[in-house]
Amino acid sequence: MGFEDLVRTHARDLYRYAYWLARDRQQAEDVVQEALLRGWRAFPRLRERAAAKSWLFSIVRREYLRALGSAAPQTESLDTMDLPDERQELFGVEMRDALMALPASYAEPLALQLLGGFSCAEIATMIGTTEGATMTRLTRARQALKRLVAPRERAGGRT
Amino acid sequence: MNCLDYRRALLAGTGEADAMRVHRLQCAGCTAEWQEHAAFEGALRQALEVPVPEGFAERMTTVPVARRRRFLAAAATTLVAVGAGSYAWLARQDPLALACIDFVMKEEAKSIMMGAMPRAEARVALAGTLPVEVLEGVGQVRHISPCPFNGATAYHVVLAVPQGKVTLLVMPSAPMRGVRHADKEGMHAAVVATKNGSVGIVGADAAVVMSVAGAFQAYAATRSA
Repeated sequence: MGFEDLVRTHARDLYRYAYWLARDRQQAEDVVQEALLRGWRAFPRLRERAAAKSWLFSIVRREYLRALGSAAPQTESLDTMDLPDERQELFGVEMRDALMALPASYAEPLALQLLGGFSCAEIATMIGTTEGATMTRLTRARQALKRLVAPRERAGGRT
Repeated sequence: MNCLDYRRALLAGTGEADAMRVHRLQCAGCTAEWQEHAAFEGALRQALEVPVPEGFAERMTTVPVARRRRFLAAAATTLVAVGAGSYAWLARQDPLALACIDFVMKEEAKSIMMGAMPRAEARVALAGTLPVEVLEGVGQVRHISPCPFNGATAYHVVLAVPQGKVTLLVMPSAPMRGVRHADKEGMHAAVVATKNGSVGIVGADAAVVMSVAGAFQAYAATRSA
């Protein structure tokens, strides 16, 4: 698979991953664009083409952290969020609000697991921690989300 | 497998292994938990899948083309200036340069997360090795912080130059001669001497790394002249 095919396949999930790192649409787009430019330059030297997907996600992560060196991460306000108005998506919207409240260190492994489809071991390598610590973060992230989402349901949010 | 193991595995999101499935089929409580968890996971996945700007994937494959062309033109100019033979070093894998790449891949995130040191302190700390003024002459200094590296204290710098960004590891306690190089997983590193120490330069683009290393070598040559 050439670089452009790789980008076409993964661009949407790379954007979503960048969004959950930055919590800002414009910054997510900038980060992905800069990361893909770096990726394009380095692609000819990538030896393990089978690992190209995790390589791309890692470049997006590095690019985001480089950007952090000059500016604090911005929190997107509710005014600029695209909130679906379909009633059946109400649960998802509440979940997205809950995700926004989750610290990035917990939201990031969730995004890598569910958007990227990476295993705990792969995520651990990508974020520079152990497999056990990654599983702990994933568990705590889900526990926190369940706590955040459940009270609204009990209050009649899904009637 | 017992109920506690089953529910722990569900929360970690590792998928339902055969042993888990066997347990679930024999346990009404875990079956109910599994059904509730499946709905939760569906909502979570849906929430993570934020709307992507229209035509984003196409833009990412077509818009950067002009920037790629500009980069190729700039890289060609740099290569002519440096000399085609310079790329021979890319094949060499120096342990210190490799350690610089490993730092970027494994430690840089943590270092940035821990925050930058006050710029006034950085000016004092780097004055004897690679002054901040010299760094500012090469590019825009985005981050400076002390960090443990290779058994000593180094200074982690993120430097934005016109062609992109590079990571520097300024090592006051590691004097050296010559130039060391490494190339790993799409990252390139060069380590060059500075006044009373050395600096590792790491980036995704070999031409940019070489260009920055050249600027620091020029500074070191001026100091020793």
